[in-house]
Amino acid sequence: MFKKNYRQDNGVAYLLLAPIVILLTIFVVIPFFYSLKVSFYNWSFYQPSVFVGFDNFKFVLEDDLFLNSVWVGIKFTLMVVPASMVVSFLFANVIKGMRRGSASFVKTSIYIPTIISGIVASVIFVFIYDYMGGLANYVLGWFGSEPRAWLADVKTALPSIAVPAIWLGFGLTTLIMLAGLHDIPESYYEAADLEGAGPWQKMLYITVPLMKNIVLYLTVTGFTGAISQYELSLVMTGGGPLDTTTTPNLYILNHFRNDVMVGNSIAASLLLFVVLGSISAIIFKVLNSEKAIDG
Amino acid sequence: MQAKLTFQKSVLTAIAAVFTLLALFPLAWVMIAGFKEKTEVLSTPFRFFPKQWLVTNYMDILKDAAFQKAMLTTFGGAILFAVLSILVNASAAYVFARLEFRFKAIMWLYVIITMFIPGMAILLTSFIVVNKLHMLDTFAVLVLPGVASAGAMFFIRQFYLNIPLALEEAALIDGAGKIRIFTSVFLPMSYPVFVIIGIGSYLGYWNSFVWPTMTITNPDLYQIMQYLATFRSERSTEMGMLMAGSTLSALPTIVLFLIFQKYIISGIKISGLK
Repeated sequence: MFKKNYRQDNGVAYLLLAPIVILLTIFVVIPFFYSLKVSFYNWSFYQPSVFVGFDNFKFVLEDDLFLNSVWVGIKFTLMVVPASMVVSFLFANVIKGMRRGSASFVKTSIYIPTIISGIVASVIFVFIYDYMGGLANYVLGWFGSEPRAWLADVKTALPSIAVPAIWLGFGLTTLIMLAGLHDIPESYYEAADLEGAGPWQKMLYITVPLMKNIVLYLTVTGFTGAISQYELSLVMTGGGPLDTTTTPNLYILNHFRNDVMVGNSIAASLLLFVVLGSISAIIFKVLNSEKAIDG
Repeated sequence: MQAKLTFQKSVLTAIAAVFTLLALFPLAWVMIAGFKEKTEVLSTPFRFFPKQWLVTNYMDILKDAAFQKAMLTTFGGAILFAVLSILVNASAAYVFARLEFRFKAIMWLYVIITMFIPGMAILLTSFIVVNKLHMLDTFAVLVLPGVASAGAMFFIRQFYLNIPLALEEAALIDGAGKIRIFTSVFLPMSYPVFVIIGIGSYLGYWNSFVWPTMTITNPDLYQIMQYLATFRSERSTEMGMLMAGSTLSALPTIVLFLIFQKYIISGIKISGLK
């Protein structure tokens, strides 16, 4: 890549790297090692800390509430990711078939929810789910159904939070899919036309296989994103009813705020870190290896 | 055949219209609810449009000194945050893309590894660190901790790797130094990638809620999402005002997005996915 006698630029390099390295050290690396340390201590703001070894990890892994939160996170992910993938895939295909002008209008419109914050989305959807005057019960009324307490019912609370999550994310997912669709050479479809393939066959044998990488990428990032979601439940339900919307990150956050036993929740967050960190490391590896060619 | 094609086209357009409406509906509803009287926001039976269009909610929230302050400090903070994050991450991206120096591999690993540390794992210990640095209730605690981002740096670097070496050579022959090449060749070409990183950072700052809630207790420094969440819990009967406030809080972002949307949508293509 570079010749052996290539002049080195140590001075300039370190000067330009100093800001990122210093900031990352203070605000990411030191807190991370600090977290590692705290996870082995019975640590609190008010008492001297005691070394307890792996007790915190053991406690968390045996804590039903934590295990429940992981289960909630998985259920939530299973509601959000497949739904937004299917909807985005179909919609991306629809946009691809549209004329340029209207396509760009649609693209802009569906991206707008993506830039809205989780807090504003929560405010909006709390009102949509309102028992008396909410839109959800109004629509249900058309079909003659009784109103439901969407966010207070154990059965409907989690799906009700999944809806705004899909709403927030589907614009970006659709646009990424659309970018992928545009990269499929038109000649493949023309060849299939000559062979007399119908629209479904084209989708099944050309579009789907060629979109595999993008779908994989979106699935994995969607999974990590959905399982780390906590703002929606924090604002909309506070994790209730009966912890049915307490996602893992909300469990951790609630423990930070309410407990004196900080070590436990830090241990929990480190356990999640191992899982999520490895997943993102894999995505990164895949992406980086393809890109490394022009590096 | 022709008739069948036009039929297909109109079906597609109809589907697209429905989806677009569904995507925009919640926002349109909040915006319009801001024009309703507070008792009408959740009135039964459900009505989309107000009986009477009132601007009082929008006027009242705009006159609210705390809202003004939250909007202004959040906007200022978000812009500063975006500019700093572009500067810090672009310099590092340039170094990793183009310079050779001792310990490059180790430095790269050190920076990149931070990408895999989730915010939640360091939330509390970061709080302890900023507390020890006496940064609580300052502007710095909102801006500085998130500025350096290995993800943003990596994204800019991918862009820099694709800038042809030939462009630098002319400058090298003229005797320009590395910093000069960075500022006069790379920075001017970086506009599209900076728009993406800038908007991303701006959004991250504007929409952040948990970190400001933990580190800011002085109401003068309240950030907009913190303000809205507090408003919702403390003045829950003022629903019209809450709707107006939510709408206005989203407005600067939507305007920015509309200005730069061309770059954002094309940015999805250079985000390493192809």
